[in-house]
Amino acid sequence: MRLELRATVRTAGVFVREPLRSPLNLVLLLVLPALFVTAAAAVLGPFAKALGGSASGHAATALGAGWAAAFLAGALGFFQTVSSRQADRRLALAGLGAARTAVARLVSAFALVLAVTVTSLLALWVHQGLVHPAHTALAILAFASIYLAIGIAVGALVRDALAGSLAVVFIFILDVFSGPGMTKPAHGLTAVLSPSRKAAELLLAAGAGLRSSTSDWIATAAAATVATALGVSVFWLAARRKG
Amino acid sequence: MLSREPRISVSATAPAGSGLAADAAPLLSVSDITKSFRHGLWPVGARVAVLQGASLDVRAGELVGLVGENGSGKSTLMQIIVGLSKRDSGRVELRGALGYCPQLPELWEKLTVAEHLRMFAAAYRLDDATAKRSTDRLLEELGFRRYLDYRIEALSGGTRQKLNLAIALLHEPKVLLLDEPYAGFDWDTYLRFWDMSAARRDAGMAILIVSHLLGERERLDRIYTLKDGRCVSS
Repeated sequence: MRLELRATVRTAGVFVREPLRSPLNLVLLLVLPALFVTAAAAVLGPFAKALGGSASGHAATALGAGWAAAFLAGALGFFQTVSSRQADRRLALAGLGAARTAVARLVSAFALVLAVTVTSLLALWVHQGLVHPAHTALAILAFASIYLAIGIAVGALVRDALAGSLAVVFIFILDVFSGPGMTKPAHGLTAVLSPSRKAAELLLAAGAGLRSSTSDWIATAAAATVATALGVSVFWLAARRKG
Repeated sequence: MLSREPRISVSATAPAGSGLAADAAPLLSVSDITKSFRHGLWPVGARVAVLQGASLDVRAGELVGLVGENGSGKSTLMQIIVGLSKRDSGRVELRGALGYCPQLPELWEKLTVAEHLRMFAAAYRLDDATAKRSTDRLLEELGFRRYLDYRIEALSGGTRQKLNLAIALLHEPKVLLLDEPYAGFDWDTYLRFWDMSAARRDAGMAILIVSHLLGERERLDRIYTLKDGRCVSS
């Protein structure tokens, strides 16, 4: 038991360091949130208006920070999974086991989510300040968690890097254009197509200086939890022994 | 590379090879494995049978070759034994820990050689002293100690392959599966690889190696040829 725990901890520690050794990842972590927040401030209002949505001003800018976190988390989660798939499976079969390998990846992924959340939050704070810092941080964290899970799930299922990255982008675009603030209020299929809908509603409220309802908080936590469980499950299924 | 819970193995064909192997029960026994792949998109694609009842066994102290044409299913059979690929039918029975060296190194580009060895040593559940002893021996045997702190992305193909092999041997498994493990080796390392394999065979390890070079046949105790999805002993 002690050796198993040590193996999992050691693996998780190494997995956390791995993405930080890519200069491109570090550049994206710094640049993308700033870009999204700045661009959101300038164009999101008119864009949402054209689509029938209501996002504008500080609320739209806050939403930009959430999207930055979502996009980064989804892309990093996907590329991390797809580039390490074979080696992860080898390690799992070597004796670490699919479940412990998945846990190690989850720890690493959560570190990534925290980094993405912090940089997005900082970009937003520098650009327009934060009325409700904790509210905003938790909403961005939910965005990042949901998209990290999507990235991991797609990375575990799709072998081809181009096809997989297009799938993540497709889900992201669908989510953005069917999300709150960008179109008319959700109903039917539109609501289903937006996995980050509740997180976006929290962020819009935080950006506008409003409080969110308890039901919105619960729904967001549920969405992030289900997404994380789904991502880990898909990773575990892909890494387990066949036959 | 792989560990697996010991299982009871069923003795099969008459033993051959070294004296140690002659009296030993198979440590690896593969029976009637079938495997087919879908070719083309469903529902218009057809299934292509790659393995059609492949069987083989390897005993302690044997160095057994698995040869066959390109695409004959050698790597597929290896992956099924290891658990990387699902078989359609058949049985795989192992006694003792399994080590596997895949054809292409499966490593993390951003991690160092030392990190790989530490992670796999932990996965094999080696204690620190055993892990250090085993790591030191393999670094010396394969001659790549100076690359210990290099990231994989900075290594040549041959050095990656040395690490690939070292990972498979780190826990000194009972059964070792090698899928063309010498790709990229220089001549000296190639010869050293065969010395290492022979030494481990003599120490009682059961080794199955995918090979396609005629010159290697004299180094092997027995050879299976994979043809039409079946293993033919020669």
